[in-house]
Amino acid sequence: MTQPVSPPRDSSTDKVPQAQPPAWRGLLFRADVRTLSLLGVLAALILIGGITKPDEFLDTRNLQLVLTQASVIGVVTVGMTFVIVSGGIDLSVGAIVALASVWATTVATQEYGFAGILFTAVVVGVGCGLVNGVLIAYGAMVPFIATLAMLASARGLALQITDGKTQIVTVPSVLDLGERDAYVLGIPPLVMVFAVVTVIGWLVLNRTTFGRRTVAVGGNPEAARLAGIDVRRQRLYLYLLSGLCCGIAAFLLIVLSGSGQNTNGNLYELDAIAAAIIGGTLLTGGRGTITGSVLGVLIFTTITNIFALNNLQSDVQQIAKGAIIVAAVLVQRRTASTT
Amino acid sequence: MAPEPPLLSMSGTTKSFPGVRALDGVDLDVLAGEVHCLLGQNGAGKSTLIKVLAGAHQPDTGTIRWRGEDVTLRSPIAAMRLGIATIYQELDLVEHLSVAENVHLGHEPTAAGFVVRGKAAKESTAALLKRLGHAEIDPGRLVGELSAAQQQIVSMARALSHDVRLIVMDEPSAALDPDEVDNLFRIVGDLTAAGVAVVYISHRLEEIRRIGDRVTVLKDGRAVANGLPAKSTPTREVVALMTGRNVEYVFPDRPDSPPAAEPVLKVQGLSRQGEFETLDLDVRPGEIVGLAGLVGSGRSEILETVYGARKPTTGQVLVDGRPLKPGSVRAAVRAGLGLAPEERKAQALLMLESVTRNVSVSSMSRFSRGGWIDRGAELGAARAATRELSLRPDNPSVPVRTLSGGNQQKAVLARWLLRGCKVLLLDEPTRGVDVGARAELYAVIRRLADEGLAVLLVSSEVPEVLGLADRVLVLREGRVVHTAPARELDEHRVLDLVMEGSPAS
Amino acid sequence: MPEITSRRGLLFGAAAVSAGALLTGCTSNEPSDSKDEPAGNNQPAADDKPGKQVTIGFAGPQADHGWLNAINDNAKSRAEKYSDVTLEITEGSNDTAQQIGQIETLINKKVDVLVVLPADGKALTQVGLKAMRAGIPVVNLDRIFNTPQAYRCWIGGDNYGMGLNAGHYIGEKLKGKANARVIELAGLDNLELTKQRTQGFDDALKNYPNIRKVARQAAEFTVESGQAKMAQLLQAQSRFDALWNHDDDQGVGALRAIEQAGRDDFLMVGGAGALSAFQAIKQDDGVLKATVLYPPTMAASAIDLARALGQGKGIGGMAEFEIPASITLYSAVVDKTNVDQYMPTGFK
Repeated sequence: MTQPVSPPRDSSTDKVPQAQPPAWRGLLFRADVRTLSLLGVLAALILIGGITKPDEFLDTRNLQLVLTQASVIGVVTVGMTFVIVSGGIDLSVGAIVALASVWATTVATQEYGFAGILFTAVVVGVGCGLVNGVLIAYGAMVPFIATLAMLASARGLALQITDGKTQIVTVPSVLDLGERDAYVLGIPPLVMVFAVVTVIGWLVLNRTTFGRRTVAVGGNPEAARLAGIDVRRQRLYLYLLSGLCCGIAAFLLIVLSGSGQNTNGNLYELDAIAAAIIGGTLLTGGRGTITGSVLGVLIFTTITNIFALNNLQSDVQQIAKGAIIVAAVLVQRRTASTT
Repeated sequence: MAPEPPLLSMSGTTKSFPGVRALDGVDLDVLAGEVHCLLGQNGAGKSTLIKVLAGAHQPDTGTIRWRGEDVTLRSPIAAMRLGIATIYQELDLVEHLSVAENVHLGHEPTAAGFVVRGKAAKESTAALLKRLGHAEIDPGRLVGELSAAQQQIVSMARALSHDVRLIVMDEPSAALDPDEVDNLFRIVGDLTAAGVAVVYISHRLEEIRRIGDRVTVLKDGRAVANGLPAKSTPTREVVALMTGRNVEYVFPDRPDSPPAAEPVLKVQGLSRQGEFETLDLDVRPGEIVGLAGLVGSGRSEILETVYGARKPTTGQVLVDGRPLKPGSVRAAVRAGLGLAPEERKAQALLMLESVTRNVSVSSMSRFSRGGWIDRGAELGAARAATRELSLRPDNPSVPVRTLSGGNQQKAVLARWLLRGCKVLLLDEPTRGVDVGARAELYAVIRRLADEGLAVLLVSSEVPEVLGLADRVLVLREGRVVHTAPARELDEHRVLDLVMEGSPAS
Repeated sequence: MPEITSRRGLLFGAAAVSAGALLTGCTSNEPSDSKDEPAGNNQPAADDKPGKQVTIGFAGPQADHGWLNAINDNAKSRAEKYSDVTLEITEGSNDTAQQIGQIETLINKKVDVLVVLPADGKALTQVGLKAMRAGIPVVNLDRIFNTPQAYRCWIGGDNYGMGLNAGHYIGEKLKGKANARVIELAGLDNLELTKQRTQGFDDALKNYPNIRKVARQAAEFTVESGQAKMAQLLQAQSRFDALWNHDDDQGVGALRAIEQAGRDDFLMVGGAGALSAFQAIKQDDGVLKATVLYPPTMAASAIDLARALGQGKGIGGMAEFEIPASITLYSAVVDKTNVDQYMPTGFK
């Protein structure tokens, strides 16, 4: 019943631009280039560390140290990556870590022992995420403002709870988790948690409908909406997820430092955003990788480690950190423009 | 004494965008003191032409002579320095600045080179506004507080604040009431009397008759008529020039008799304040219903409201006899509606993602279990859907941004095909699609209908609606003015209806 | 897509409510058995006999650190001891503009004497001057104003002296040890006081040619940063003999890192005088052997000085009729021998 369609007169018009080489290979290759370049930076840092401080740097204990120090901010960065991929931002992560860590280490909470501390840290984190999510998704607030408000309130509440005092943890099972005796096959429990969160984060972002929706909402919220995705609910879940990561990170920080303090998590938001950005996550949303973000965290932690081992002072460390962020973003823009 | 050369003379102007030749050797002469009208259907090249004039686009080839001398309009500032001012349809005013500040934006009267003399700016602005017959506008008010008509006056005052010799007006009357239009024409008359040339763009033929001197008609990027007398050229001839096809569209056959099934989509008394009114229509499985109308006739708004992306003021949408929750895209999608929106890149596609992911985004639950995506099944389903539409390249892993316009549209159609939707809403399905690829897209749409899909089609290209649809609803300013089987209509008739709004005979 | 929102929502709601119930109980910081004693000491005040009624206005920074919190507690509990003193205390603020506003309010209220611990000494000089011109004597606590005209009396700690005493203490302990190695965990490097402490420490160590400072890293006065920087220092220095840590708050983290690394081959000296540090010194089962005071009791003394100013008295034990213009407190070293005496002044 359909009349034969005459072939398009100019068949070249329908050809895919740059069909040679196949575009999918280009995509794969580009993704690899990004990861490889980060691995290259890490390798260069390891080389520098190995040359300047061979005994102290190339040492199992140092590897354990670097990974442990990366764990807390690493878990936060995994959550942050999801939020940024969705086109949002969460400025409140540091404050949520602070609030969760002090709420979980009050005298009253500590009476409930290990479970009480873990539960409180996670629930406070998720609760703050819930507030962020509701304000942003259903209150139509700009993420920057909503989470900035959360930053201020959570820090204030943390201060109110502690009265500026350091809350020392006296629950032995919590403290023991941060000790050398708790290492399994040489792996600190904190690092295991970090690894598990990373793997789960990677799977969720790359292999689940949740991850797909996150990318869709970040890449083009209008298209996502018209494709039938519940954009608002997805946003709510994303800030919940970030809050959950903050709660877990707060627990790790309690284990690591043996205390809760309202100054905890100072400037985590900037560290996590910076790590995600140098890891290749677009601040405008729609693209990002957990692998890149974790490599970003490891790069920053390794720099700190190398600088400390070489006894360089904090001013130099800060300058280097800034320079690396700029360099990483410039390199990425270059790779993007040569697409 | 030699005759004075035209104020502006463009010849052989060509401008291409990726996949589209927007201007193809256009000539245009504008004389000092005349009102030169530009006519053409949407996509004929009018906007590109005025952007070239304004210095916002650089032509690929062609020369521009200004008062007999070759010039290059490198930037909007260069055009402005020569005395060419443009008043765009979307007004480019800064809402948070005052009227005077907007008028003098970029060339503020200053003392010592940098101190803005606010009082002088206000005084000169007040003088300009008075000349435009709008002395009531306070130069100190914020532009955002003014009505659309007043904003247009401010835009015009800004043009006049330069030493202007040519003013380009892009559909200036679209936002105006009748008496405001009269004032506009008085201003145009004053300007031309003072020797200023006006390039006037409008869809309303009666306006062109009233104030135009000469007419240039654009069609598919070419000037099909130059300098016709505006007052004496018959309307039929102008319309014929605008629509005269030099591209043969190849439309698939339609079924001889309309499908007899019960309508799957019913729209009852649907209205949206200020956009369209009490719309009734139904679409049966296997049927393609077309909506024809100009920009501003409410076409896209109707589709988006049916789809739940906009909330109706009154009325309801029924799918298989069940009313949809108003204003809910998710309810519409669940009921079996799918939209291929007009702005494909902004509203449909995830440009950073692969074809697969773009196709699968609306049916993820079909190949996922507990949120876990079976990527093999996903790729298989996407491949099957894209193959059915012969999307090229035959590899759904490529990024969707590398596809041509036609294939991007097929990716959107594949999304709904995979979802298994019952009603397809198509908004300008061939916009940005190469002429050659259109025939194939038409065939695809017809095949989908033959397979039982109900299709509601919107297009500003009348031949497309007439060629593809079974039934056509003609819209004018948010109202259906005529309904008929497509085979009983022709292009001139439809254009008469949409432009003049003459009642159906 | 199948929707299970309602059930999920219900479950989540129930979890949130029960969590909320548990959590609200968890903000309490009152130990169930012991009462929280305010820090302070029972040293007799300058003149215990009640005199003329004095209203003292007190403005300090936000108490976001144990030491600053102790400052507020000391001021309050000291004022309560006097029946003739009314204390007008402002909400602590780290915002210079806000603190200026608070002090101006106190000036307008015509308090008799002002005690000010500025968030930033330089930035608050003007408002100090204004108070003095209004005839309200100002006791400037710790962070010093730009000009002596802005205060009647300055009382504060001695950052340089802290470093000096820490250095001397370590020097004496390591006397006779050849090639002794010392490391320093400094406080926030942005602050001038950190530089002063480091300078004092370095100057003291110059007296001991057998000692070499091999590493210094700056933390941020927080437990978290103390742990992080100390862990790095321990990895960098496989052998050293002594450590000076500028601040007992970050020392909590430093001690945690030392414990985690399983190191006990050196002696550690703290700074400031936190209760937890005193307790560790008293127990004497770890590396922390001493701490150098930066006593928060200075706030109590400031109240005494303000009261004396308000009543036109001098200081007991001094021959002058007037109180001094400037009092620098001694940064005593607290170790096992004298820790009991200082225990009540330790802050949390």
